[in-house]
This record gives sequence, C-alpha cells and structure tokens, in this order.
Amino acid sequence: MSENIRSQSFDLMGIQECQRNRYPLLFVDKIINVIPGEKASGIKCFTYNEWFFPPHFDDEPNVPGFVQLECLVQTFIMTFLCMEKHKGKKTNFAGINNVKFKRKIIPGDRLNINATLESFKRGIAKGTAVSFVDGEPACSAELIVTLPDVFENFKPKKVAIEVKND
Amino acid sequence: MENKEKYEQVFIKSFALTKEDLNEKLIYESVPSWDSIGHMGMIAELEDVFSIELDTDDIIDFSSFEKGKEILQKYNVTV
Repeated sequence: MSENIRSQSFDLMGIQECQRNRYPLLFVDKIINVIPGEKASGIKCFTYNEWFFPPHFDDEPNVPGFVQLECLVQTFIMTFLCMEKHKGKKTNFAGINNVKFKRKIIPGDRLNINATLESFKRGIAKGTAVSFVDGEPACSAELIVTLPDVFENFKPKKVAIEVKND
Repeated sequence: MENKEKYEQVFIKSFALTKEDLNEKLIYESVPSWDSIGHMGMIAELEDVFSIELDTDDIIDFSSFEKGKEILQKYNVTV
C-alpha cells in the first residue's frame, strides 16, 4: 500500500478531536501527511492577530520560543493521538533536548513542521520535530512526551530503604 | 560481557551513575535520575540488552537495584 493512501490529514476541528490543546494555546492549524505511529507534518500560519505579538515585542513582533516549541510538540503528539485508542487523551511534557532556534518568525510567516515518532512504549513517546519557514530551518528539538493514562500503569512502587544495624 | 556487568552498565548509563553508586541503597527515586521517566528508559534498555520483555507487574515491582536481580531470574537472566 503506498504512503499516500495510508496517510491522513486533520483540519482544525479534527486536531481538536485528537488533542486537548485549545485557544489560546492551540498552535497548529492543520496536520497533513500523518502516518499513525510514525510521522506527521503540521502547518501554522502566524498573523499579527496572535495574542502574543503585541507584547512580544511592540517594536519588533516575533514568535516567542515557547510558542515555537508548542508548534513542534503539538504536531509531534498527532503521530500517536490520531490513533483511535489514544484519541482525545491528555499528554505531558517529559523532556526536551537539543532545542535549536535558527531564525526569527514574524507575522505573515507560515511555519511547516515535520515530526517523527521514534518510539512509543508504555505511554512514553520519543521523537524529533523540525520546523521551517520558506524552506529555512526555524526551530528543532528532540521531544519526550508521556500519555499519563497509559504511563501511570507502569510506574514502580515506592520502597523504603532497610537500615541494618550491625 | 558477563550478565552482572551488563546489568550494571544499564544502571550506569540510564541514571548517569558510577559503579560505586550500585548497591542495596539504590532504589527508585533515591537518585534524581531514577524517576518514573528514567525508570521506563532503564527497563527498555534492560529489555534490549537481555532480549526479554518484562511483564507489567514486574516493571512495577522493579523498585531497586537488588530487586531487579530477582526479577531478571524469572526471565532466565542470572546477574
């Protein structure tokens, strides 16, 4: 079966069926080229109407770093939240490594994000996401995200250390 | 490499420890790196190293360096 037949896409309403982020913290407009359990691509278009542009900054509006990271992770989580068994579940950040910001993103820019799921085991998703504006690298990171509904079932018991008196 | 050394290396690598840290006092959450996320990483590494798949109950019971040795016995891995 070819990738084109298997791949899925989600509009804004479809994204909100899969993940729990909502305005003003939903930072992806469209998800395309999704291969469940493997990869997803996201599109985010920025206009000056975004709530964070006036304060960041009034004389030089640009997308804050945390928003850029959210764009990456909200695309990344679609690689597994698109699957029926995980759809609509909450996720938690567990780690971000090797974050790189390569260029400023300003009103009018369209951010293209490519996310890859490298492993998903026992409620822990690990992978990478990279983003581009007009083909130029913008932001990238290695991501670890947990799915608490699954992850909590595998947490170890806490034990006390036995102190032996000699 | 002997099983004992493989087992120790998993802990050293997963939790950024030294060999001196590997003793009966090493239990879940006794070092900052052995948190719930670190635990899952360590379990995944053990599964790779010993080519086994741990049951859910064993993952939950795997609460210390020493307890782990007992659990691995069930999978015919003697440490």
